[in-house]
Amino acid sequence: MKRLIAVACGCVLAAAVPGCAQSLDDLNIQIHGYVTQGFLYTTNNNVFTTRSSDGSPAWTDAVINVSAQPNPKLRIAVQGRYFLLGNYGNALTLDWAAADYKADDRFGVRFGKVKTPIGLFNEIQDIDPSYIWALLPESVYPIDNRESYLTHYGGVVYGTLAIPHKFGKLEYRAFGGEGLYTAKDGYFVNQLEAGFNLPNDIKGPLYGGALHWRTPVSGLMVGASALKDNTWNALYTANNGALQGTETLLANTQPNFFASYEKNKIMVASEYTRSWGDQLVQFPDTPDSYSRNDDRGWYAMASYKITSKFTGGGYISQNADHQAPISSSRHYNEWVVSGRYDFTEFLYVKAEEHFIHGTGLAYDMNLNPNLQPNTNLTALKVGVTF
Amino acid sequence: MKKLILSSVFAFAASALSVGAGAQVIVIANPSVKSSEVSKDELRDVFTGNASALKDGSKVVPILLKDGPPHEEFLKTYIGKGDTAYRAGWRSLVFSGQAAMPKSVDGDAAMVALVAHTPGTIGYIDKASPHEGVKVLEVH
Repeated sequence: MKRLIAVACGCVLAAAVPGCAQSLDDLNIQIHGYVTQGFLYTTNNNVFTTRSSDGSPAWTDAVINVSAQPNPKLRIAVQGRYFLLGNYGNALTLDWAAADYKADDRFGVRFGKVKTPIGLFNEIQDIDPSYIWALLPESVYPIDNRESYLTHYGGVVYGTLAIPHKFGKLEYRAFGGEGLYTAKDGYFVNQLEAGFNLPNDIKGPLYGGALHWRTPVSGLMVGASALKDNTWNALYTANNGALQGTETLLANTQPNFFASYEKNKIMVASEYTRSWGDQLVQFPDTPDSYSRNDDRGWYAMASYKITSKFTGGGYISQNADHQAPISSSRHYNEWVVSGRYDFTEFLYVKAEEHFIHGTGLAYDMNLNPNLQPNTNLTALKVGVTF
Repeated sequence: MKKLILSSVFAFAASALSVGAGAQVIVIANPSVKSSEVSKDELRDVFTGNASALKDGSKVVPILLKDGPPHEEFLKTYIGKGDTAYRAGWRSLVFSGQAAMPKSVDGDAAMVALVAHTPGTIGYIDKASPHEGVKVLEVH
């Protein structure tokens, strides 16, 4: 909490100091925001800690963004969010807050609480107006686990590397700082319900980078990123706090490889990622508990702008934990068809049908005493943006 | 089948003619911008937030029209997107902390006035609109 306040105060001060000598107009202050309301219905299992098999409207996002640009190279911005998805969120949070200094196209730096630039969609995975989908592919961007991956405290340097024009453009991002996996995220939901907790969450150093090659083929981008976590550990409790121990996440690296083609009315994209996780849980006078997962996820998606207001698309998304025993809980595969209709620049609706096979998702076991191997999910969403 | 082929040919011809109409939009810049020409790729990069300078090093700041035929024509001809998709792209940058939304102005006269008086700015207007005080960039 102290860090949140410090970051917010830093940004306000950074905005206010130049403001002493400039009018509000010179600061180029902008305010933007959006609100989305979703509805989930599933034929079998309850997803994302909602009671979706009865139909659930517990899916809301509201975002407000304030930015100032006291000079052409410096920009300061703060973004707040209310997020609700089933039992997740239901709180106002500081989404990110950063000062950005862009010397030129070759070099820029932003610092504060910043978006972590990994993969094709991570920086915008929680920005619903940006894409056609009501839900991004769960195999790579699980909505119930996103809080731990969206941002970090630290910085990002970014820019364009000089290569001969005939080879296109090569954009880089390098980042570092402190990451935090919150116990309120999907990966921890069943442990919480079983009486375990991470009272201080779990955090530690992380760093990484990304390269985006905008190829000479107009609209085609190919990229890769890597996120490296050092070994993290934190207080871990059991029996609702009666037992105190330690949870350790061993160092690991998460690579993402991706490509997208976007031209005129067509968008095609694909991504692959692999996430290793070695966890060690230690309590006094009890044997250590060691577990490992090896999640490999990929998706392929395409969309086509059928009219100026309506876009249709679909994707296939697959994820499997290669350390898990063979069963329907080892994988999570889905076929998805989707449509988005923009009534105006400011108002849109989305409708999506997911045909899901496997239960390798963070299901709340209290809500799913009899998980079924297959389920269909209907997702509807309306969004307003300004 | 003949009807289908004929209607396809007609649709293609109509499409080609409408692309031709894009030539009615001109790209303007403040006289401080060194370049006198700009490529379509540069325009697309600058107006989608992927670049803030032209190849010759001239720093530029894009200005948008809020709406209207020149705006639609500019997006169609040089960006390859409609207005809704185009502004959604900018919102991605804004809400992820990567950029601020470019200024938008109400019409050609306001565009010319702003570009004429603001160093480094670049915009677009209908070819027939008066444009004293700005330089016209040739697009290649």
